[in-house]
Amino acid sequence: MKLEERIVGSVAIVTVTGDITLNKGGDVLLKDKVQSLLHQGYKDLLIDLSGVSYVDSAGLGELVQAYVTTRNRGGTLRLLNLTKRIRDLLVVTKLLTVFEAYDNESAALASFGASA
Amino acid sequence: MSASSPRLLVTDANGRRQVPIDRPVITIGRRSESDVRVAGVGVSRQHAEITADNGTCRLRDLDSKFGTFVNGAKATEQVLAHGDRIRLGEADGIEIVFLVGEDDVSQERSALSAATELRHMASLLEGLRALGSGRVLDDVLALVLDSAIDVTGAERGFIMLANEEGVLEFKLGRAAGRATLSGRTFETSRKIPEGVFTTGKLTIVEDLLDGGMAAWHMGTVALGIRHVLCAPLRLVRYLETAEEHGEDKVIGVLYLDSRERGALRSQAARTALETLSTEAAVAIENARLYRQALERAKLDQELKVAAAIQQSLLPTSNRSGAFFSTAGSSLPCRAVGGDFFDYVDVAGDQFGFILGDVAGKGAPAALLAAAVLGMFGAEASYQSRCAPVMTKLNRGLFRRAVEGRFLTAFYAILAPDGSLVYSNAGHNAPLLVTGAGVRRLETGGLVLGLFDTATFEEESLNLAAGDVIVAFSDGVSEALNEAGEEYTDERLLAAVAVNRGLPPRELLDALLADVRAFCGRATPNDDVTMVVVRYNGESA
Repeated sequence: MKLEERIVGSVAIVTVTGDITLNKGGDVLLKDKVQSLLHQGYKDLLIDLSGVSYVDSAGLGELVQAYVTTRNRGGTLRLLNLTKRIRDLLVVTKLLTVFEAYDNESAALASFGASA
Repeated sequence: MSASSPRLLVTDANGRRQVPIDRPVITIGRRSESDVRVAGVGVSRQHAEITADNGTCRLRDLDSKFGTFVNGAKATEQVLAHGDRIRLGEADGIEIVFLVGEDDVSQERSALSAATELRHMASLLEGLRALGSGRVLDDVLALVLDSAIDVTGAERGFIMLANEEGVLEFKLGRAAGRATLSGRTFETSRKIPEGVFTTGKLTIVEDLLDGGMAAWHMGTVALGIRHVLCAPLRLVRYLETAEEHGEDKVIGVLYLDSRERGALRSQAARTALETLSTEAAVAIENARLYRQALERAKLDQELKVAAAIQQSLLPTSNRSGAFFSTAGSSLPCRAVGGDFFDYVDVAGDQFGFILGDVAGKGAPAALLAAAVLGMFGAEASYQSRCAPVMTKLNRGLFRRAVEGRFLTAFYAILAPDGSLVYSNAGHNAPLLVTGAGVRRLETGGLVLGLFDTATFEEESLNLAAGDVIVAFSDGVSEALNEAGEEYTDERLLAAVAVNRGLPPRELLDALLADVRAFCGRATPNDDVTMVVVRYNGESA
């Protein structure tokens, strides 16, 4: 799993590439990245999952943990570009009712009140 | 005594000494009057003698019980040549070398014999493994140190090995004569060992008082230690596990010191030690790997016990009541798993069943699954509805669970009149197979354990006799075949359609057989759990 971040306005966009699973240690990295961004003062986080083909249950737990951590620190974490597989997973686990997910970046940025 | 006169270099439990052959007869044995008195198992009181006649030295065995050997061959009478090694019976730890020349071949020879001994040790390790000895590492370290002290003529030495963080730790100290020394005895500076460990270069400090080094080593100098020889224990990769990309790895250092000026200076000692340290590194690493293997074996055994306990937590797979029959199965992909199911009697002669899946695999997931089963057992018998039980489980888990750990679960209660109430907390929707077709049971709420304020809904349905619920974990629908393809819900639905008329046990077996047939020889990648519940209609 690879993580790349870029900043658009006040929003930190993290692009994840690869699988988010327990076995590859990727889940820990995502949590660290989110912690680090919150620490740097970013409150609006957007996780782009277009490059993620597979999330296992541990990876899902990590996404939720990132969400909860962000919320507890007064921030907002939203998802961008869910693949069908991840969308299905979020539907089954009913987590799609928790996460706000967007299919294009400008709509996602607009939701934070930021301009692209 | 000139260096060229015949002499014996004797090394035994009393240390190392030279005995000149300056008389016509030199006696060797355990008796106190012997010229060369050696103690040891298998040494006779009068074991052997050496006669000197015109510069020719002749060794004669004195009918000793266990025999006398020269360079490994049994000898009754033999003319000795420079460098010959004499062994008395089977006595370990005693070495007698006959010397006559100027050059001191004893050290090279001892180095060779020490290296041979270490190789011998390596093969002995195999035997120790079979016996399950946990002391292999200590034994190897002692042997390495004793050999190094013999080879170099040092007074004492110690071995430091790098721990997982790469920090050198004192492991064992020995003195000439095979005595074990405590770590406190070595009030030496860590500077030399650490330098050798970092650079990987053998270092000889001939006199700590020279060159202004005394300031660095005050503690050492105070003890009168003058001469230090410190060699890296270099592991030359011989395994195929290419973690280090074929590079040599220094696993620790061998440190020797002596009060005698120049005792460790000779090229022979240095060569000997280099040979020895390479052999030693291999032996030490093997002993370490062996110890790790022992610890793993212990853990495996504990996991086997855990697996047995976990299976005993699950209910007997088949259960039948007046109006229902069931079959359930849970197969962890590792020794223990995070899937679980349970049956419970609910007030009003109702039958409740739960199936769940803790995120993650192995022991951590299994522990949480056991905790959930406990909470469920405590809550479910007092509640005749599903949603309140889910709320209780969610709160209980949220308070107890580790960050990011959660589980999905499906809980349903079936009444004798066929009314069914269920709540699905983020679990793969079970199949309700009726005469009218198949529908999924999705109503409920979020996965359990992540959000303390999560709320849960439940749905009420009426089952007809013969209706079947198939609940399963994602280990079923996401089982992979050798090509990396998933089994999928669609394949499960197709298998259900074919086998739906079967009683629960047979239906369960048929469905699991279909999954196994699909997977072929692929290794299971997740726990596989399935519960089948059939409503048989109200009994008369």
